[in-house]
Amino acid sequence: MTTDSEFTIVGKPVPVKDGVEKVTGNLEFAVDLAVLGMAHGKILRSPHAHARIKRIDASRAESLPGVLGVLLPGDTPGTVWDGCWLNYRGAALDGVARFAGDEVAAVAAETEAIAEVALELIEIDYELLPAVLDAEQALTPGAPQIHEDGNAREPYVVEWGDISEGERQADHVIECEVDFASQQMAPIGRNACVAEWDAGSVTVRTSSQTPSELQSGLAQALDLPQSRIRVISGPTGSSLGQWWSNNFMMITALLARKVGRAVKIELDNAECFATVKRRHKEHATGRIGVTEDGRISFIDVRHVIDNGGYGFKDSVGFFALDNWGRTENGRCFVQGVSTNLVTAGCMRGVGDVTLSSAVERLCDMAAAKLGIDPVKFRLNNQIAPGDALRHIKGKNIPQIAEAMKADLGGWRANIPDDMRERWPEPFHLSSGSTAQILRDGAEAFGWKDKWLGWGKPYSVDGPIRRAVGVGTGIHCCGVELDGNMAAIVRINPDGSAKVFCAVGRQGQGSETTQTQVAAEALGIPFERIEIETGDTDSCPWSHGSIASNTMYRMGFATWSAAIDAKQQLLAVAAREIFDADPDDLDVRDGEVVFKSPTQGKNLRATVEEVLHVNRSDAFGPLSTITGRTCHVLPPSTTFARHFAAHFVDLEVDIETGEIRLLDYIAAQDSGTVVNPPVLANQVIGGAIGGAGFAIHEGLAFDDETGAIINDGFLDYKVLRAADFPSRARVLFGDSYDPAGPYGARGAGEAPIAAPIPAISQAVYNATGVWLDIPMTPERVLAALGRI
Amino acid sequence: MITLTVNGRSHDLDIASHERLSDILRDKLGLMGVRVSCGEGECGSCTVIMDGEPVTACLVLAMQAEGREITTIEGLGTADDLHPIQQAFIDEQGFQCGFCTPGFIMATKALLERNPDPTEREAAQAVSGNICRCGAYPYIIKAVLNAARKLRGEHDD
Repeated sequence: MTTDSEFTIVGKPVPVKDGVEKVTGNLEFAVDLAVLGMAHGKILRSPHAHARIKRIDASRAESLPGVLGVLLPGDTPGTVWDGCWLNYRGAALDGVARFAGDEVAAVAAETEAIAEVALELIEIDYELLPAVLDAEQALTPGAPQIHEDGNAREPYVVEWGDISEGERQADHVIECEVDFASQQMAPIGRNACVAEWDAGSVTVRTSSQTPSELQSGLAQALDLPQSRIRVISGPTGSSLGQWWSNNFMMITALLARKVGRAVKIELDNAECFATVKRRHKEHATGRIGVTEDGRISFIDVRHVIDNGGYGFKDSVGFFALDNWGRTENGRCFVQGVSTNLVTAGCMRGVGDVTLSSAVERLCDMAAAKLGIDPVKFRLNNQIAPGDALRHIKGKNIPQIAEAMKADLGGWRANIPDDMRERWPEPFHLSSGSTAQILRDGAEAFGWKDKWLGWGKPYSVDGPIRRAVGVGTGIHCCGVELDGNMAAIVRINPDGSAKVFCAVGRQGQGSETTQTQVAAEALGIPFERIEIETGDTDSCPWSHGSIASNTMYRMGFATWSAAIDAKQQLLAVAAREIFDADPDDLDVRDGEVVFKSPTQGKNLRATVEEVLHVNRSDAFGPLSTITGRTCHVLPPSTTFARHFAAHFVDLEVDIETGEIRLLDYIAAQDSGTVVNPPVLANQVIGGAIGGAGFAIHEGLAFDDETGAIINDGFLDYKVLRAADFPSRARVLFGDSYDPAGPYGARGAGEAPIAAPIPAISQAVYNATGVWLDIPMTPERVLAALGRI
Repeated sequence: MITLTVNGRSHDLDIASHERLSDILRDKLGLMGVRVSCGEGECGSCTVIMDGEPVTACLVLAMQAEGREITTIEGLGTADDLHPIQQAFIDEQGFQCGFCTPGFIMATKALLERNPDPTEREAAQAVSGNICRCGAYPYIIKAVLNAARKLRGEHDD
């Protein structure tokens, strides 16, 4: 891999591969799928927050004409399946409902309408169990226990330095408390799952960001080896973390096995909103110490997240502690708690949208106390390349971290030769920071003209107060724990190629950008390379596109597989055609050539010609080359982060409480930008998703049952085209990562983290109040004492 | 039995009185570019054009469409012969996941038929009946304006 910025295809604004399918409506989603002889399934859901099934009688449903069968808890292996990174843990059906909307049975019928009628014929006697709908209550002694292993996950604690020393040094100590509603992914496009059994093996077609994780989950839920499970995952629609491996997919497979027919379960919109997943409800309390000269002497944060019924997370991303980690003393305590609300799990920017916004607020309140410009305060106190990373000190990680350190020799042996010396020390930031994007963003935004000081609007016009704000965001670039990832790159006999990498398709353009990486590495034109991202029969196991790992880790895996394929190709070409050292050859624009123009005159051979040469050591043509990921992958959490710095100009109407966004700049440092329009689109999408959460979005739960009340777009408001500045601009930093593919890092999650602190700060500057999230008109008016 | 005229072709269809236009277009005519997400008229994914007006097909009973001219995304252009609006959405990358895209394109078509030279604000308002949860709005608005230029015969350099 080279540091040369003159790449052939990386960095070019190549149109996305599936643009024509998208604009013609031909892109096929799971809801569009049908297989021959398919039956339709519907799921029966608990109306209660917490209940045990005492008796269930499905005989009336089973005798309804057109019903093929009913799946009951006793029909499942009862095995517990795990979602990636503790996003889910439970049996597909076990006779206990842990939230209102939880699955308790399922019906397969000839039509969806018959299945729906049959649901009403299933008789259930529930034993109601005491329920707990609030995380803090769930932690109190004597609270109803939702799982055998209790409500409280083991706290996840990061500590460094000495807090009491930081307290001694502090001239000011500031405290804050922020409450975050639960944001819904609010997916556009419903999901469906089609399961079809054949001789004890099952093919599951659905929409998932994580096809391999789903295969692993199905293997547990069905109690089968992974070799009997094929997942074919199509585009997800706007997933944002919703469609990973979900329990309705397990139920579809079990129901199909029970009735001996292919079964499709299509979720309706309310099921998508209210029964699958959501962002955690989170609550942060924190303290910060600062010295008069603007140095942070300590940060101390306590954060509680509710996991709902089946989430099991003990932590969320709190990479803000890396971003603000120059402080010598710090502590972060995260407590995951089970409740009888619908399952919560990773939504785009998990933790960095919430916990990190609270850290940003603490820092802003400290800067306000000192009267320091928030851009300057960030420039002075945020991380720089080579600085120690704090997040990685978490207690679950050291075993792996220590193992890596101990075996650094063996680990380093598999680092690509020309990268070994450039890879950073583990646990130190590899590249990038907020510095350049803060400076460039402030310049482009006109910050120094609009920021008049803390709590000062730049314009007051009747009830309309206008002000600006800046916020920074950070997130990881994939997580190396809990499995690794790999790709395969196959060169076909005609010199075209295909990439196999299980990153799913959630709309962020990874089919295009992974192909660009492969094309750059192979020397085969982009147009000659296709990609498969969803079929577990052909793609090696991977985390999928989660945790912003798609470019950093999958991109690296794809690069490595392409290099492996190219080396195999060059070995044949060198021996059979060029009579040369393979190291002297390269592939350019689909042809093998000498690297140096002085060598071999103009001898060249197309990839196709190389693949059809009659090799002396084989009976026939070589035909196909299969490259596999052959280097050790960069350990992402120990190296890399990606950064966002967002600037917002907004107005608050203090009579109506309404917040309107007027101008927006989203600056992003993700290392090399593999495809600028693709990344710009993703960055703006993050800004809009974060801004929506900042000012509108929050789930409402029924006081008694915990059921989600606003289960559709009618009652759950998201931003629309006219709600966000259409001239929002995106800027890129130009850092280059020493380990990431062609210098690239992760991208997708810092941009949804930065809007919340930026908008919060601007609202403070407009009104003088700090608000919980979302900052609804009601909250604005209440804080101003107007209601 | 009703007769529906969809994308210039007429179809005689047996339908029940409660059936929605969106379901008939998808299930009986195989027009899968008519996307259904919210099913309550809020998201705009199922937007089709009925007698020149954009409507959310999930809120139209199939019987109400009798005798009307209906255009879906499939009636606009094909992969080999894209409509200028479709080309504009590709040129400006006015999408991410692509689920909502047909609805946005149909809303754009209806806008440009009544207003061939919209302002940025008018473009944004015209597609505000549609939700793009990926958040590609600024690029969608660019695509609407690009499409307007294309349809007026202006060329981008």
